[in-house]
Amino acid sequence: MNGYPLRIPAIKAIWTGSRVTMQNSIAAAERSDNDLAKDAAGGRVSAFRVLVERYQKRAYLYARSMVHNSDDAYDLSQEAFVRVYRHLKKFDPAYPFRVWLFHILSNLCKNHLRQRKTRDAVVIGAGEQEIEAVSPTDNPDIVFHKSETQAQVWEAIGQLPDKFREIIILSHFQDMPYDQIAKVLDIPRGSVMSRLYYARLKLREILEKKGVSL
Amino acid sequence: MKCDDIRILLSALVDNELDGEQKKAVSDHLVGCDGCREEYAKMRNLKEVTDDMKYFDLPDRLMAGYWNGIYNRIERSAGWIFLSIGAILLLAFGAWELLNQFFLDSRPPLILKLGVGVLLIGVIILTVSVLRERLFARAHDRYEEIEI
Repeated sequence: MNGYPLRIPAIKAIWTGSRVTMQNSIAAAERSDNDLAKDAAGGRVSAFRVLVERYQKRAYLYARSMVHNSDDAYDLSQEAFVRVYRHLKKFDPAYPFRVWLFHILSNLCKNHLRQRKTRDAVVIGAGEQEIEAVSPTDNPDIVFHKSETQAQVWEAIGQLPDKFREIIILSHFQDMPYDQIAKVLDIPRGSVMSRLYYARLKLREILEKKGVSL
Repeated sequence: MKCDDIRILLSALVDNELDGEQKKAVSDHLVGCDGCREEYAKMRNLKEVTDDMKYFDLPDRLMAGYWNGIYNRIERSAGWIFLSIGAILLLAFGAWELLNQFFLDSRPPLILKLGVGVLLIGVIILTVSVLRERLFARAHDRYEEIEI
């Protein structure tokens, strides 16, 4: 259950003993993402595990920032890794591994949000008990803020439309440069520039309504 | 350039994402435009506030079962593939043997052949029904349309 490899070369590693496997793990932890992805594509699940452990928190936090629900974020981020594993042969080493991971995760989150909106609309339309909109402030515990202003900024980010929120999260909280954001969202670099500008404008507008001026 | 165009570049300027030519165009514009200078100051303030905000370092216990969850999903999908291939091979072999050794054999009584035949038709109908349901569920998989 501890990530024993599925394929034959790795099964051999089990027979060679845990000491060798431990050494491999240490060596793997020091390797680049792309090298690990290449090894994983060749059947080394232990290499894929290192990649997962390297990005699991960031993936979970991104999903949680987008869907505002811990269980859904856990499930979506795990599903993104499973998708990555199944399609490792398609990995393009010209771009960082995390860009590909976040591209898949971003699409999963958008799909989830779309389905949730449709589901909520159907339930409300059917005259059943109205579902309370997910509060953007359901997330206060995942971001460290030193001041009341920062707390309000985080709350305002939660109130942004999905496409603005995702670009703000990628830029400000995942520290991605524009080229990488463009690949994650599958839009031109120029669109990243303009979308981020309008996202910031909207964010300021929400903050001004709260009486916060920057 | 107009102020609207410059303002989009201002946002990129605070992220240090402009090339030399764009930076010069923005700098030249800012010298003579109070409105854009004010906008630039606001963008920088917002950036400074958010730069200080970082995700909490999640406790390791939260991610304790994370890898196992992923591994189980990968392992199960591989298991289903092998199971399906094995089942198809066995069923094909069984059907062939049943046809040759039982239905085409003149020794078993007709009533027995009829009973086994009807039973098999029932099993086939149920199998097709379950498979159709599974395929229908797959066609409506909530993650199915995700681009890789």
